[in-house]
Amino acid sequence: MKRAMSCPVAMMACVAVIVVTAAPAAAAEPVCAKSEIRLVNSMREIAQPYHANLEKGGRWFAAWAGLEHYVLQLNQGDSDKQISLMRLLLATNPRCTVFNVEPNADLVVKPMIDAANRSGAWIVTHWAHNEGLHPFDGNDHWIAHIAVDSLGAGAAISKLLVDAIGRTGGVVALQGRLDTDPARKRFAGLQQVLLQTPGVTVLDQQTANWDRTAAFPIMQTWLTKYGDRINGVWAANDDMALGALEALRAAGLAGKIPIVGVDGIPEAIAAVEKGEMIATVSSDAYYQGSIGLAMGTCVLTGQVPLPASWPKENREFYLKLVVISRDNAAQYLREPEPAAYVDDWQCDKLWSRSTGKAF
Amino acid sequence: MMPADHQGPVGSTPAATAQELRPWTPLLALIVLCLGFGLAEPGFATSENLWTIADRSAIPLILAVGTTFVILQGSIDLSIEGVMATSSLTFAMSVFNSRNGLDLGVFGLGLATLVGAGLGLLSGLLTTCLRVPSFMVTLGVWSTSAGIALLLSGDQPPLIKDPMMRALGLGRSLAVPNLFLVAVAVVLLGYVLQSYTRFGRYSMVIGGGEDLARLLGLPVDRYKVLAFVFAGFLGGLAGALESARIGLGHVDVGGGQMFATITAVVIGGTSLGGGRGGVLQSAVGTLTLAILTDGMVFVGINPYAQKAVQGALILLTALGATWPLRHRLRIVK
Repeated sequence: MKRAMSCPVAMMACVAVIVVTAAPAAAAEPVCAKSEIRLVNSMREIAQPYHANLEKGGRWFAAWAGLEHYVLQLNQGDSDKQISLMRLLLATNPRCTVFNVEPNADLVVKPMIDAANRSGAWIVTHWAHNEGLHPFDGNDHWIAHIAVDSLGAGAAISKLLVDAIGRTGGVVALQGRLDTDPARKRFAGLQQVLLQTPGVTVLDQQTANWDRTAAFPIMQTWLTKYGDRINGVWAANDDMALGALEALRAAGLAGKIPIVGVDGIPEAIAAVEKGEMIATVSSDAYYQGSIGLAMGTCVLTGQVPLPASWPKENREFYLKLVVISRDNAAQYLREPEPAAYVDDWQCDKLWSRSTGKAF
Repeated sequence: MMPADHQGPVGSTPAATAQELRPWTPLLALIVLCLGFGLAEPGFATSENLWTIADRSAIPLILAVGTTFVILQGSIDLSIEGVMATSSLTFAMSVFNSRNGLDLGVFGLGLATLVGAGLGLLSGLLTTCLRVPSFMVTLGVWSTSAGIALLLSGDQPPLIKDPMMRALGLGRSLAVPNLFLVAVAVVLLGYVLQSYTRFGRYSMVIGGGEDLARLLGLPVDRYKVLAFVFAGFLGGLAGALESARIGLGHVDVGGGQMFATITAVVIGGTSLGGGRGGVLQSAVGTLTLAILTDGMVFVGINPYAQKAVQGALILLTALGATWPLRHRLRIVK
């Protein structure tokens, strides 16, 4: 038992040594030579299109900026691993290291921010974090948090859906896991839009737990129960939207009843182009995978002042979402050119996709 | 050796005692459920909804038949979701698809079931040869096969473009969903295996008392392996058919099926201890769950409350099944 305990103790000691030696360095002028800058993308895995694109975005930025040190950290869904991978890297050259983080869970954000503050490394986080935690509350090395506006996403697709059915009729709604924040906020977005559209009613809403296979039989039951009273299908993500689409296909209704989803996964974009779905919303993975690295690089090369002096709305903001409908689907079906993002990476345009202060 | 005195809803006398009524309680619960939903929402009792329920129960029925034999023998198979995932990707990548040039058609279906049977064989051999409890073995096979499926899936799941397979998954023959026809065939096959073959009868004996079966000189291990192979085969079939329905090979194609299948088998009246129950009982249990989930959407039960209602009804059914036995069941685990 004692032996087993000694390993974590040794690791903690190691971290402590790193912290003590690195702390004075953090106070030094935070400008690094280009050859010293190290970029890190920390994410779950790269087996899904979303993550694969995050990674591509990061590499594209490194190549464009002429920075040779690019590190990819994959935690395979293990929150502890995400934190320990970061700490391991901080053993060397922390103050010239920039982390762009897709948090595995809300609660990994705090320990990662603490590690950055102590070591002098720089960090940008995405999506969500626990309440009451902000970059501008003395977390000088937490450059920014770029949140995704789930309410906005839910509202954006809802507007397109009610317009597509002529602002009158019945819709059914497939919800995500009811205990998750994006599921609740996306549905709140639908309710918000319906308040202004009294002609449209929600015939029924059920949860399919984000899952395509679960959405299929629910849609079938609805078709049996409501028949042609269903004018539109709202889904909190693309997977469920595609499951509902297959149920419509089985009933010979594919393309005849408008469907909307969220995420912008390639199959959904293809369905939008074919006219079987009418819209989906994307947070643009290529952008999310590169913007944090661009911010850090601008700070380290002295092209923007230290984040501590930035206004609050530049350190915690919502990301503008891209609505993909039939008009622009073709453009998102192909992989974009890296050059399309060069404008976003300029140090004076780092906030061009902000829609304002988050939370 | 004592094959269960009730093989299903056959052979009851009019003067049924409580003991003889017991196997009928799951069926009774099913009928009560139908009546309840039908009264609450008249649209529930239409032929169209009957076929919706049939379609919804097709995949669970196929899974329940395979799992029944494993549970009858007193083992358990937790690998269903992993087996479905692997077979789903095998199937999707061997029929006409978006990923490679293969176009094996029906042989793709065969390949997927073969992969499922292979995983079942692995579970069976590990359980019998190495004497590892089936609980642990199948848990391991679940993760392993889910891992294989993830590797096969890569960063873009393969889309199924074979129109014949899509028609099999989505189409109907004379108003009856194709997949339900497959499921009915599987249930009949299971019933024949259970009633008219050595495999079926020995499974019952092994579950009733494995030590006795061994003393009698029955090749217990062989039949245990066979049960896992059969369950794997049907798991593979279910994975492939679900993929034909949703149109792609997907790692999560069996999401939630393991728990649902075991629940269905048990509420049908097949005992987790082994030796009691059967294919038809499992089919009744599966239909009960399908009607329950369909009916709750139909009568508009709040999604936040559905899980609780489902749990309460499962408890009630289980209570109904064991109530007449409560004095005789001295040990409950």
